[in-house]
Amino acid sequence: MLSAVTDLGSIESTVSKNLPVVSIHQLGLCLSRASASVLNLNCSLILLPMCRTLLAYLRGSQKVPSRRTRRLLDKSRTFHITCGVTICIFSGVHVAAHLVNALNFSVNYSEDFVELNAARYRDEDPRKLLFTTVPGLTGVCMVVVLFLMITASTYAIRVSNYDIFWYTHNLFFVFYMLLTLHVSGGLLKYQTNLDTHPPGCISLNRTSSQNISLPEYFSEHFHEPFPEGFSKPAEFTQHKFVKICMEEPRFQANFPQTWLWISGPLCLYCAERLYRYIRSNKPVTIISVISHPSDVMEIRMVKENFKARPGQYITLHCPSVSALENHPFTLTMCPTETKATFGVHLKIVGDWTERFRDLLLPPSSQDSEILPFIQSRNYPKLYIDGPFGSPFEESLNYEVSLCVAGGIGVTPFASILNTLLDDWKPYKLRRLYFIWVCRDIQSFRWFADLLCMLHNKFWQENRPDYVNIQLYLSQTDGIQKIIGEKYHALNSRLFIGRPRWKLLFDEIAKYNRGKTVGVFCCGPNSLSKTLHKLSNQNNSYGTRFEYNKESFS
Amino acid sequence: MGQIEWAMWANEQALASGLILITGGIVATAGRFTQWYFGAYSIVAGVFVCLLEYPRGKRKKGSTMERWGQKYMTAVVKLFGPFTRNYYVRAVLHLLLSVPAGFLLATILGTACLAIASGIYLLAAVRGEQWTPIEPKPRERPQIGGTIKQPPSNPPPRPPAEARKKPSEEEAAVAAGGPPGGPQVNPIPVTDEVV
Repeated sequence: MLSAVTDLGSIESTVSKNLPVVSIHQLGLCLSRASASVLNLNCSLILLPMCRTLLAYLRGSQKVPSRRTRRLLDKSRTFHITCGVTICIFSGVHVAAHLVNALNFSVNYSEDFVELNAARYRDEDPRKLLFTTVPGLTGVCMVVVLFLMITASTYAIRVSNYDIFWYTHNLFFVFYMLLTLHVSGGLLKYQTNLDTHPPGCISLNRTSSQNISLPEYFSEHFHEPFPEGFSKPAEFTQHKFVKICMEEPRFQANFPQTWLWISGPLCLYCAERLYRYIRSNKPVTIISVISHPSDVMEIRMVKENFKARPGQYITLHCPSVSALENHPFTLTMCPTETKATFGVHLKIVGDWTERFRDLLLPPSSQDSEILPFIQSRNYPKLYIDGPFGSPFEESLNYEVSLCVAGGIGVTPFASILNTLLDDWKPYKLRRLYFIWVCRDIQSFRWFADLLCMLHNKFWQENRPDYVNIQLYLSQTDGIQKIIGEKYHALNSRLFIGRPRWKLLFDEIAKYNRGKTVGVFCCGPNSLSKTLHKLSNQNNSYGTRFEYNKESFS
Repeated sequence: MGQIEWAMWANEQALASGLILITGGIVATAGRFTQWYFGAYSIVAGVFVCLLEYPRGKRKKGSTMERWGQKYMTAVVKLFGPFTRNYYVRAVLHLLLSVPAGFLLATILGTACLAIASGIYLLAAVRGEQWTPIEPKPRERPQIGGTIKQPPSNPPPRPPAEARKKPSEEEAAVAAGGPPGGPQVNPIPVTDEVV
């Protein structure tokens, strides 16, 4: 509509000279409107995968019965990144198109339709247009914010300096505020009195120099929508039937559609953040802190009304360590009906975990063996946020599951094993293959007790093949070959060297013919890629391997 | 916040600004806007900035991800020594490069982005960061037979290690021990009992 009316204005001044410029004008406007629509959609969708509590609720609720739908939720981070990249590309298109428009608005200033012009006078410097109008200024600021956010979100920065990524990404709120102001500028207008001044009507009090011959005039408008009363352009030239303008055209700004698009997800996201803030405002009570070999610390705590499913993770926030940082850790023990204690295992890498450990465990006793410190020392205040969902929750919903853990990646599976120790009958799982690969033999002691207890329990219940444990020591100096004297069951299941995945997959396929096996991996990327590739290969036993992926940084 | 290495972020920003400058320059020169020569300048400046910023510097702690094929540019950038190592120089250079592009509408975004990158480089320089090239690790050639030690020179029974010391050390350390190395001298004379 706008193109039509602007065309009218530019054509009425001069006809032939404006043709190339008019077509650029149309292209620029069309491109900017099209990219704006794409941006509307993406800016609204990008917030949805970040509503993590909502996604965790959907994952666990009965309303999402299909496994395929739940697997879609695993890809929420990838979806967010895709929307982000799309926003980036189409912002580029939008900015380029508007820069061209700014130039055209100043060059093709129309005296006839003063309200339609974005420029205030002819040949106004387009840079002034950019910086002194509300849409222009907010647009420039938005591009700067987007530039900061995107350059800090690359994979290299996320892996090396996560803080930069996190702090700049919180600028998204500024971006959204600027966006709501940007579309309120009222640049796009539509005509309100179409019946009294239809496009293509002739005004009786125009000077003769501005009157153009009719056939030429109407052949320009063949691509526009016509109001009722006119049917085909051929009819114009044939019948020369035109309407006379009753009054001057009146224009009104379009209602900014963007507000409708972004208000829903933005309100949803704000509501979720508020809910998470209220929920995490009460500190937890730390019951015990246990030091494990290979730089791992276990924290057991309680919090009222805290419920979690096995495989979920929480984020820890300790103001005494750092006022702003939140760090995610998978729950290794979930609260049950009988026991409200839950716990996490943390590996000490990086400054936050080091400072946290120094606060909880006095430095003198950090090298000692596994000893629970049940003393009334003053633990710092600890706040948790969560629990949030993860793909590992699905391992209890397969009939057969293969869980592969690399090093500290065993934590999500530890909560699964704890749940099975508690009660295995309510779940669909009937056979679990548990493979744990570590570099250091002392690492196995983190969960050696749990594994032995589980093994004994299933042996007593006459289901020895429920859990099949294989432990691998990938690097060895040949000296220590056993985990500990009392862990007989584990020592006989300890292998030196890396697992041979193809043989393992063939064995599992052979013993579970025709079934669907869920494959879960928590470890380094190379391991994950190998397993993904093997899961997608066909085998001769008709067994299907479904790979469930968790994406970390 | 104390552990953040700002130079890496500034590097990403400068690379992105270089690309924005090139794009804006192409639009300006192709559209033959007035003052299109600023567009041509912008393309040249953009290419220069991209080439300078392509090799990523090494992080102080931990491993750094290299960009694909960056070792060729690393060799070139290393040649300039302190001009490329020092981030103050880079900050000033980027600021100066960004100014001429600000006169043309099509390239004004490149100016803004490069100016921000220059600011972050200044912050990195103030915090004492430097650009160190990522050297390829020298491949350790597997020594064939390096672990095979010399076979023992004496037949068994061999005296303990102290006795097997070289004659020069034996003079210095008068340690109790068996007879020095060399042909075996039996402490108890062995007689052949064959009658």
